[in-house]
Amino acid sequence: MRQLNHYLLSAFFWASLAVHPNLYAVNGDSKDSLQKQRIIALAPHIVESLYAIGAGEQIIGTTAFADYPEAAKDILQVGNYARLQIEKIIQLQPDVIIAWKTGNPTDDLARLEKYQLKVIYSDPQTLEDVGKELIMLGKLTGREAASNSVAKRYLTRLQKIKKTYAEQHKVSVFYELWSRPIRTVSNKAWPQQQLELCGASNPFKNATDDYPTVGLEQVLVTLPQVVVQPGHTGAESPDALNWSQWQHIPAVKNNFIFHPNADKVHRMTTRMLDEVVILCEQIDTARQFYLTQG
Amino acid sequence: MTIKWLWLGLLVVVSPIAALFFGAADLSTSQLIQCITQGCQDPVNNMIFWEIRAPRVFVGFLVGAGLAVAGATLQNITRNGLADPYLFGVVSGAGLGASIATLLFSSKLSEQLGIIALFPNLPFSLALPFAAFLGALFSVFLVQIIASKSFGSRTEHMLLAGIAVSFMLSALSHFILFLGEPFAANKVIFWLMGSLARVEVWYAWVMLPVVVISVAILLLYGRHIDALLLGDENAKTLGVQVTRLRILSLAICAALTACIVSYCGGIGFVGLMIPHIVRSWLGVTSRIVIVGCVLLGGCFMVWVDVLARVALADQEIPIGIITSAIGSVFFLLVMSQRRH
Repeated sequence: MRQLNHYLLSAFFWASLAVHPNLYAVNGDSKDSLQKQRIIALAPHIVESLYAIGAGEQIIGTTAFADYPEAAKDILQVGNYARLQIEKIIQLQPDVIIAWKTGNPTDDLARLEKYQLKVIYSDPQTLEDVGKELIMLGKLTGREAASNSVAKRYLTRLQKIKKTYAEQHKVSVFYELWSRPIRTVSNKAWPQQQLELCGASNPFKNATDDYPTVGLEQVLVTLPQVVVQPGHTGAESPDALNWSQWQHIPAVKNNFIFHPNADKVHRMTTRMLDEVVILCEQIDTARQFYLTQG
Repeated sequence: MTIKWLWLGLLVVVSPIAALFFGAADLSTSQLIQCITQGCQDPVNNMIFWEIRAPRVFVGFLVGAGLAVAGATLQNITRNGLADPYLFGVVSGAGLGASIATLLFSSKLSEQLGIIALFPNLPFSLALPFAAFLGALFSVFLVQIIASKSFGSRTEHMLLAGIAVSFMLSALSHFILFLGEPFAANKVIFWLMGSLARVEVWYAWVMLPVVVISVAILLLYGRHIDALLLGDENAKTLGVQVTRLRILSLAICAALTACIVSYCGGIGFVGLMIPHIVRSWLGVTSRIVIVGCVLLGGCFMVWVDVLARVALADQEIPIGIITSAIGSVFFLLVMSQRRH
């Protein structure tokens, strides 16, 4: 079984090398010149991933909230998620711009492409895509060995967590993404995939939207065994729902309300797994408790 | 009086040129002077200057002029100092168009319905202003129909119909955004805050004839609009075809505002504030007010856009935030002065 898993993981790893369409764009360039490319990375997760493969020094511009690692705070900012500073980007004359498909203003990106700037898109949809993106960035920056190694380590770890909780008893978890109005996660949403990884069952899993808004009554009748309230730097968000007023809910009665660090769990990077492991362990604590309670 | 016009003329000459010296890209004074006088030597500077900064300043002037003229005209034909182009639901209509475009062209639904495959040559960056333009025209049309069919032709009824339509269309667009993806809602909300950041050269060429023709027609009918200020009955006795003039003026204001809002988003208070300043500074007759609004409105918007570009080092402030902030303070000042 372990061998089969290893084989499947390797097959996925090499398949991901083959399928990414952007990889072919840079095949003609030498490794040395690729490592000297000047990059504008337009999202915090892209910056993190570039640093993770050793290409952080190549970044000459980024957007607001790119704050990890510490060195990223010194990178010149060229806009935020609402608007890019086109003038500044053109003046910087980057060799390549790595944009986030759903997180950057599309009209600004279209304009940059119109001005003959090379724009490559990051669009991670699944937890496995983080590995694919690392490999893509490695190809792009001439750092295949480093990126393949980081990606492989990430995918192996992901597979290990998946295996640990796959057959475990399901714990009912309510994920409070936002409190006013109450917004949770479902379908293919990023945190939903993390919940599934931890062997949690989400009562709103099959809602039509990935991030549905739900009514308080709807939430309370599901009697969640665990409540997850992500907050910045892992602290409880001041705007979060005050669950202590509903003592009949198992999660509240047994104090299974967890606050993972939103900066880590909501960012599509390898660092995300560190926080997911903690979340999975917390959910597992609750699982063991409920199992002993019968 | 002549001195005031001279000052205004000087402001019009100096403002756009000075505004070219401010921007996110770090161009030196000598580089800029070279770009203006002989053309830029560096192709990158050339692109920044001629394709991004200069069209933006030029369009900023036209947008300010257009909104101010539309506001002044609406105030005159409705004889209501509080009339503003946005009171006719133009922004809400444009917002509805933008929301629909976002839902149809920039979400998972667009892939499911195959809309992108149907319009392969229509990028979202063009679909949004186009839909916003249609939405703005729809709202003006709706206000006109409701006001004339349900209430009669009294101007205050038209303003009330405008407010009702505005709320109705806002509710619809909010519902669409609620159904859509959170990212899509972000796009529309930021678009509604207004910005000149997306201005390109082609838009300058669209706006120039719209503003010039609108202003020319309004100047031509300046005396007729003055007659309207005396009341509908008095205007009729002076030989003015009141209904026809009012419809023509409204159509011009609607076209002007729709063209501006559909591309630049919601830029509030300019149409309300600038005509008041011009009236108290230069005079109240329509032709003077219109020319004054073109010049002062244009300069005002050029400087507001400079502020939007340079106030925060690494980001741009949506222009609607600045105009609304200045406009609201101005409004309170005017009210307190009148009280004293």
